[in-house]
Amino acid sequence: MLAAVIGLVLAGALAILLLQPAPYLVNMVGQLAAFAILAVSLDLVWGYLGILSLGHGLFFAIGGYVCAMHLLSHAYAVTGVAPDLMQFMGWKTLPIYWSGLASAPYALVVALVLSAAIAFLFGYASFRSRVNGVYFSIISQALVYVAMLLMFRNDTGLGGNNGMTGFPLLFGYPIGAPGMVTGLAVATLLALALILVVTRALVVGRIGRRMLACRDDEARLRTLGYSTTRLKLWIWCLSATIAAIAGILYVPQVGIINPRVLSPDLSIEIAVWVAIGGMGRLGGAVIGAVAVNALKFWLSAAMPEVWPFILSGLVLVVVLGLPNGLLDLAALRLKPTWLRRGGRLG
Amino acid sequence: MVDVTRRHFIGTAAALAAPAIIRPAWAADTVKLGCLFSSSGTMANIEGRLNHVVRMAADGINAKGGVNGRRIEVVTSDPASDWPLYAQIGRQMLQQEKVAALFGCWTSVSRKSVLPVVEQNDGLLFYPLHFEGDENSKNVVYVNSPPASSVLPAVDYLMGAEGVGAKRFFMIGSDYVWPRTINKQLKAYWASKGVAATAWREEYVPLGFSNFQTLVNQIRSFAAEPGGQPIVVLTVVGSSIPDFLREFANQGIRATDVPILGLDMVEADLEGLDTAPLVGHLNCWAYLQAAKAEANTRFLADWAAYVKAKSVPFSADTVIDPMVSAYDSVQLWALAAAKAGSFDVPEVRKAFAGLSFADPSGYTLTMTGENNYVARGVFIGSVNEKQGFDILWQSPDASKPVPFSPYG
Amino acid sequence: MVESLKSWLCGAILLVAGLMQPAFGASPSFERAGFAVGLCGDGAAQSRVLDALIRSSGEVTAEDLAFAGILLGGLLERRLVCLGDTAVLLEKAGAPDGREVVSGGVRSTNGGRSPVLGLRQRGLVETALGISALIAGETVELRRKGLAAVERRMAGVPDAVLVRAQDNESDAGLKTAIGVAAQGAALSSPDPARRLAAIRAVAEALSGAAFSRLSALKSDPAYRADPAFRAALEAAIAKVERAVWIGNGLALLYNGLSFASILFMAAAGLAIIFGLMGVINLAQGEFIMVGAYAAYAVQEAFRRFAPGFLDLYLLAAIPVAFFAAAMVGIVIEALILRHLYRRPLMSLLATWAVSLFLINFVRVVFGSQNLQFAMPSYVSGGVPLYADFIVTWNRLFAIAFAAITLVLTLLILKRSPLGLDIRAVTQNRDMAACLGIRTRRVDRLAFGFGSGLAGLAGVALCPIYSVNPGMGATFIVDSFMVVVLGGVGTVIGTLVAALGIGGANVLIEPFYGAVAAKVIVLVGIILFLQRRPEGLFAVRRRR
Repeated sequence: MLAAVIGLVLAGALAILLLQPAPYLVNMVGQLAAFAILAVSLDLVWGYLGILSLGHGLFFAIGGYVCAMHLLSHAYAVTGVAPDLMQFMGWKTLPIYWSGLASAPYALVVALVLSAAIAFLFGYASFRSRVNGVYFSIISQALVYVAMLLMFRNDTGLGGNNGMTGFPLLFGYPIGAPGMVTGLAVATLLALALILVVTRALVVGRIGRRMLACRDDEARLRTLGYSTTRLKLWIWCLSATIAAIAGILYVPQVGIINPRVLSPDLSIEIAVWVAIGGMGRLGGAVIGAVAVNALKFWLSAAMPEVWPFILSGLVLVVVLGLPNGLLDLAALRLKPTWLRRGGRLG
Repeated sequence: MVDVTRRHFIGTAAALAAPAIIRPAWAADTVKLGCLFSSSGTMANIEGRLNHVVRMAADGINAKGGVNGRRIEVVTSDPASDWPLYAQIGRQMLQQEKVAALFGCWTSVSRKSVLPVVEQNDGLLFYPLHFEGDENSKNVVYVNSPPASSVLPAVDYLMGAEGVGAKRFFMIGSDYVWPRTINKQLKAYWASKGVAATAWREEYVPLGFSNFQTLVNQIRSFAAEPGGQPIVVLTVVGSSIPDFLREFANQGIRATDVPILGLDMVEADLEGLDTAPLVGHLNCWAYLQAAKAEANTRFLADWAAYVKAKSVPFSADTVIDPMVSAYDSVQLWALAAAKAGSFDVPEVRKAFAGLSFADPSGYTLTMTGENNYVARGVFIGSVNEKQGFDILWQSPDASKPVPFSPYG
Repeated sequence: MVESLKSWLCGAILLVAGLMQPAFGASPSFERAGFAVGLCGDGAAQSRVLDALIRSSGEVTAEDLAFAGILLGGLLERRLVCLGDTAVLLEKAGAPDGREVVSGGVRSTNGGRSPVLGLRQRGLVETALGISALIAGETVELRRKGLAAVERRMAGVPDAVLVRAQDNESDAGLKTAIGVAAQGAALSSPDPARRLAAIRAVAEALSGAAFSRLSALKSDPAYRADPAFRAALEAAIAKVERAVWIGNGLALLYNGLSFASILFMAAAGLAIIFGLMGVINLAQGEFIMVGAYAAYAVQEAFRRFAPGFLDLYLLAAIPVAFFAAAMVGIVIEALILRHLYRRPLMSLLATWAVSLFLINFVRVVFGSQNLQFAMPSYVSGGVPLYADFIVTWNRLFAIAFAAITLVLTLLILKRSPLGLDIRAVTQNRDMAACLGIRTRRVDRLAFGFGSGLAGLAGVALCPIYSVNPGMGATFIVDSFMVVVLGGVGTVIGTLVAALGIGGANVLIEPFYGAVAAKVIVLVGIILFLQRRPEGLFAVRRRR
């Protein structure tokens, strides 16, 4: 199943390169792929470790914000035109924490390390005192909410409510050019495929088995002498890093980052994508993210009134009738593997 | 399994392509206009009205035979108050629906989000809100006023003998670009008039903030300090406005003690409030419902009839400035397209120079072609007990807009 | 205040019709027709006649002042219509005809306009109305209100007015009060004795404004030169300062309490639902919204069937809102949540979907604008209690409401059979089931009860916040923090957490602003919960 998803992702990338569809379609596919990466990152901790984070938007936002800072300072360095943000804040130069971000590799490292570090701190504190289940969900939601309030503050210095927009260049080339749009979408699709391959290798291996054990009965695993805290912490940090990658790839494609990605609602929506696609399976996360967002893009333009009703109906149907998400529709043809059993617990 | 997945993907692809198949874009006898106003989410209450106004304006033009022999078809959407979605839908409308112009955005952030999209696709966005200025894109028509042409006259009025001779200022705003830019410009303006920096205080609250008890307490103690007549410059937006006003009135402050100049306050914000204790507070816009003009009478009647005919879920007798500005936008576009004899954006843009239109405010809007700003009049309104505004003062004519503020 | 003056003046209109004969006792300085024409003029003309009236109000006859008061009351209420060279006073705003102000003859209002008042003119009108009521008011009550209005705008009132009012006053208490006010006006008098009296009189006011006035005297030469003056001033300042300080402390306490009561109301139902079933009910905010909309429905019903009792709708809405929200809750429990008890994280998503549905359903049915509530007098305005501390009725309503909710909830939980069942199931579901408690039924009733409490919160919030489909969304994160901090399943814990969070927010806000206050408090809670996940008060339970 996953192989098919990966195959389709790669086929999509190839199709974009060969067929050259309209740029807005390409751009949409690229965004969908970024959302899929985000969904995979959540599925890794929710589906395989039983930790439902309602704050994954935080890591997505860290990637996005660092990427946006890179884009702005890069454009500033190349063109010398001060970004709106500087003018509005009354800055003569970019503040100290922006220094170096004009370099893409450095910005990438900052984004990944920062998200992993914050995930580590939060995870360490939570897992050590055995905060789990719905408590973890609520506290992580509060965390992303706090981050949102902070970023909404203008004095935080990252654009406040307006966030950052108007990125002219990426790697020195105009960001809106069709070639760049195609390149970004293909890169995101490839990143998605790569992440799927890596995470799959992880979950089918020894660590994956330990993750499932931890999800199903943490106390027993601990009694058996495994350090569940360390296991959870590692996977949690990995998941946060993947979410940050999604954010990095998302921002140049939509051209804006603003605290709304930190709203608790978006973080819940990520969980909704995973649940709809089928949690506990990486392919399910991808399908869920793509299906829900494609539907959203289409309906909010074509039938704006009905979209919220369809989404809520979809969630209820899945939650009540299809505990393994859309993949249940094909359940009859599915081999009874550990993966399948895995999806039953929520 | 594989089958299901593939079918799913094919299904999705088909779904995405569907609108293009069902509705052939660029049909011979119609021209499309796109709306980017949310009908759900935090902006729904105020933005939602504008979708209907654009439709109404288009209906009016169609009834007179359309533009260049084509009927206008309005494509609405719901960006759901989600800023990236404005950009996404805008892109979709320009590239797929091939709309001739976009009408949309309320908040600055949504405009900033759509801006790169219209610039990359050389589209045209009509933006109906007054805003922070300091922006001048050839792809955006700024139908409403930047602060230098709307806010400063109102502040001048309050500082003058005719107003209250204001000496001290309590600025309270939502924490984002528009209030902060306005306040920055106001401070520079006051400084240029010799007002000392101790005479003002600045506070910001998060968007959607509602618990104003402590802030109103602070305003009361600010008012009690010596130094002359205080006023409140209110730049909070959305649902914070009625919540602030309610607390202000409940703590017993009257307009004659400390007047509020509510820069984003419109008739719709007073819906659901008892305005008797709020009578006398001020706002300033390029249009007020009480404007005395034949065009206004007509507009109000049209809107009431439209609400009734289409059972629009908004009040039939509340009309706010951005609604009129959205209406003006459609008219300006139609005039320009007719003058150009074309729907191509560069042609239409060229036709902006020298355009004029007598809008419901009673002023004649003009565009110079130097920039995409529109000259508007200024009204200062005073809250009355019927949840509306009486016109206290209005500018003698539509002043030339100043995109970049000389202050701050 | 001014409203009641106006309504009196409106009532006295017939009486004064007699006075409207070409003025018998009219003083030469006041000319009725000219006054009316002035009011009909532009801002400058209005200011001119109002200034003239106020300046000469020590001498103008009481009849003329009453006449001016009636005109000004009409002006404020838009009952004064200007017709070319004369003005007409209507019985009701918008009436087709009224009485010509000077002659009393009936005139049609055709082609007339009612003047709009500028802010400066509005201030003058309030001053003049106050003076008119203070001197020409028929009853003590009216004159007392006139004094209050005059004191508010003391700077623009000539001394002669207070002297005249004091001389004419028959009521002893009011006479003294006017005397105190008159003394206070003499702060800059050259006579040292009068100045000392003035300082003492001003210090009676115990307000921030009085503090500013007194503090300004420190730069007066007499402060250095005259020890008596200095001592009196310092004593007065210390007195006012202490009072203002206490008043501000009370205000802080009140703000904290009112915010805490809102938090508590929003969280109480959640605490029961979460404590009992472990369900994260993300639709709790929407139950609040349902309660508020139920209150609106009750208001509309009163409007239609019993308009005379409209003021009582808010009280009548209490049971309606409770049962409306409870019914919605029970339906949702029966249709959806019942199937999800073993999967708490899925029930979280399901309630999220429910909340999305409810918001949009209400939006489609009622529209997205704020609902129009006619606020009864018992929830609008406020009363100054001490120094600058004002008790606002709507907040007091919410506090009282929260207190009653707390008591009722405790009674039901501790004293009723349902409460016993709820507590039993909360502590040990399996054991309770073994003992024959129908746990599923308890779940449903408890869910209904919790939802009903949210509905009550909706009623309490109507007078404070705007009511629209999205109103509930703002409460979710806050109320979950309250529940988790308090400890799951304890109402007292929820109360303590609400008080703590509300208090902390209000304490921090004046120093660092509203956003930082929220951030600091939330970060504090997150850190606390990392150390102590079970919250402040943990119920012993088996999981």
